[in-house]
Parts: sequence; C-alpha cells; structure tokens
Amino acid sequence: MQIERDTRGSELGPNQYEDAEGYVAPLPAGFGPRSNPLGAFPTGPEVGQPLPDVIALDSDGKSTDLHADRKGQPAILVFTRSAVW
Amino acid sequence: MSAFEAAGAKLYILSYDEVDALADFKNAHGTTFTMLSDPDSEIIRAFGILNTTIAEDDHPWYGIPYPGVYVIDGDGIIIEKFFENNFTVRPGPEQLLAVLKGEQVNLVEKNDGDEQVQVEVAFEGDTLPAGISRQIVARFSVPEGMHLYGQPVPEGLVAASIELDGDLEGIVSYTPIAPKTHTLTLSGDGHTLEVYEGDVVLRLPVAQNGRAIEKDDEGRWVRISGKVRWQACDDEKCDVPREHTFSFRLPAAFTVMADMGPGEGRVPSMNGAKHFKKMTERRQRSS
Repeated sequence: MQIERDTRGSELGPNQYEDAEGYVAPLPAGFGPRSNPLGAFPTGPEVGQPLPDVIALDSDGKSTDLHADRKGQPAILVFTRSAVW
Repeated sequence: MSAFEAAGAKLYILSYDEVDALADFKNAHGTTFTMLSDPDSEIIRAFGILNTTIAEDDHPWYGIPYPGVYVIDGDGIIIEKFFENNFTVRPGPEQLLAVLKGEQVNLVEKNDGDEQVQVEVAFEGDTLPAGISRQIVARFSVPEGMHLYGQPVPEGLVAASIELDGDLEGIVSYTPIAPKTHTLTLSGDGHTLEVYEGDVVLRLPVAQNGRAIEKDDEGRWVRISGKVRWQACDDEKCDVPREHTFSFRLPAAFTVMADMGPGEGRVPSMNGAKHFKKMTERRQRSS
C-alpha cells in the first residue's frame, strides 16, 4: 500500500516551513522525515489482539524477547523513528 | 519512568537504530527503559507499520515505522494503541498511564450540582509542551434510566462531545476517543439509538504547535478553552441540550527532543553525526 504524503503547508521564510497543523520546521511538509500520511495509514495489530512476538537486540547487544522479559507484567511498546535523529 | 514502574509496567522503545547508537543514547540520557534495535526493520514490517510515505530513495530515513504506541496487559493482549498522522506530536505519558491504571488528572472543572447529569472536565497532565499530545477528559455520570447520545446522533439531538473554541490559535486536536455506544431499542416503534448510560468518559487529545504561547513574568503559558455538550433523555422524553464551558491555562514547558548537537534549549550530550553517517552509508550499500 502506497500512502499519499501530506504536502499541505507553506514556506514562512528561510528554512521555515509550516505544515497543515501549523508546526514549523526546516524541511517542507511531505519531505523525508516530515512526510505525514494523508488520510488512513496502517497501525498494525488491533486492540484486543495479542501483541506479536518482539525479539530484538537491546542497547547492550543482548537478545531480548519482549514477552519473556516482561515476566507477566503489563508493558508499553513504543515504535519510534530513531534515537539518532 | 518510575511512574510506569509504579504502575507495574515495563517500557520498551523500538527503533531502526543499530545497537551502538542505542547504547550511546542510553549513556547520554541515563535512560532506564529497554531500547530495542531493529536495523533491518524486520519487526516493523512484521507489525505492518513500515512507513511507506518515505521513498526508498530517501535512504537514511527509509525503514522507520509509523510512530505509535501499544499498551498491553499482563497476558500480552493489546488494550490500547496510539497512532496519529502528525508525526511531530506524540502521546504524553499521562495517556499511557491512564490506560494502565485508571486516571491521573490534575486540573478539574465541574458543572453545577443541580443538573441531572454530572460532568467533570479535566486536563490530563500539568503542562503542554509542543510536540506532546495530552487529553481533555470529560466524565459524565448519567442517572439510571437516562442516556446520552453517541454517534451517529439522530437529527435534532446533540451527541455527547468535547469541542474546542474555534478561535484558539495554535491548538490542534486529534481523533476523539470515546467508549463503544450500546444500541437502545425504543419500546414504542422499535427505533434504535446509539447511547451511553451510567459513567461515560470521553477524551480529546490536543497539542500545541508553539503559536499558542503567551509569555508573562511567571513563564510561558497556553490556554485551551471549549465546551462539553450533551443531551440527556429517557425512553420517552429529552432534556434540552446542555453545555459546560471549560478553560485551562497550562505551563507550556519545554519538550525533550533528541539532541543532534548544541543549540538553544539542547544539551549536547550525544553526538548523533557518526551514527547518522553510518546509517546513510548502510542504506547506500543496500540499494
């Protein structure tokens, strides 16, 4: 599924671009990391479904299985862009 | 963080960064949550949330997910998820905690005690920094035998809702969160209505984009005002529509952003440049 990029916005000045919701950033709306989707986009498994297995290396390079690691506790899983940018 | 631990929950942050970038971030910020590395976006793809608005030729950015949050219970079942299409705004921790353990609300307004339906409007959180969404929460207590309308609302009646004033510059609202209605069949003509009964909680996530900030000697503030509307009915007749206005003045505070280097309000504690270079090279090699 190719999602349409939201390119609505305007240039306010040098390195100042406003998106449709009024947020200002140095990149135009629709460009790279500012490419908000227009309309619906996939949001993964639904409420009421089990969270799929998540097995990945952690920041110490240790393999971590989310469901085993949380030891029966509730948990929050955040999908984020990057710790670098 | 300690608030999440107090709620008995573990916090995991997953991104497409490599392990050494996560380790740098962790050292720089002293974070205690678990950071997971998905450099080939395998888990992101398995969840079906690879961001396809980013073209593969935008290399360094390709592979990121649509940003969102899942909250799961002890059995691993998803009990709530947060995804919004403006990526500059993320849910505040209050919203996640509210799902985990009920309410944590600060600024509260109530309607007069002599009305049939009791309404309490609260702002969840005590600040509203740019880039964090927080919720306006309206709790209705509906007396037995009465109901409020949800969507779709029959013509001429008013559904329970939270509405912001139209002239608020710099305040953005997102998809309202409402419980499921239940279907009420009228005894007379068998007509069906979508209604709420008992205690009902409606939520409206809001954010501010910086234009809303007022400054005075005591700091930077944002003001959010609007009204909660509803109409209470029983099986036979309806009250007139009611509304309760609210106005919250909140410290705008500052957002903690990932820091790529020095700059106003930033702590140059992590130099992301080398990781970004590596990320760019990797994408170029693979394409």
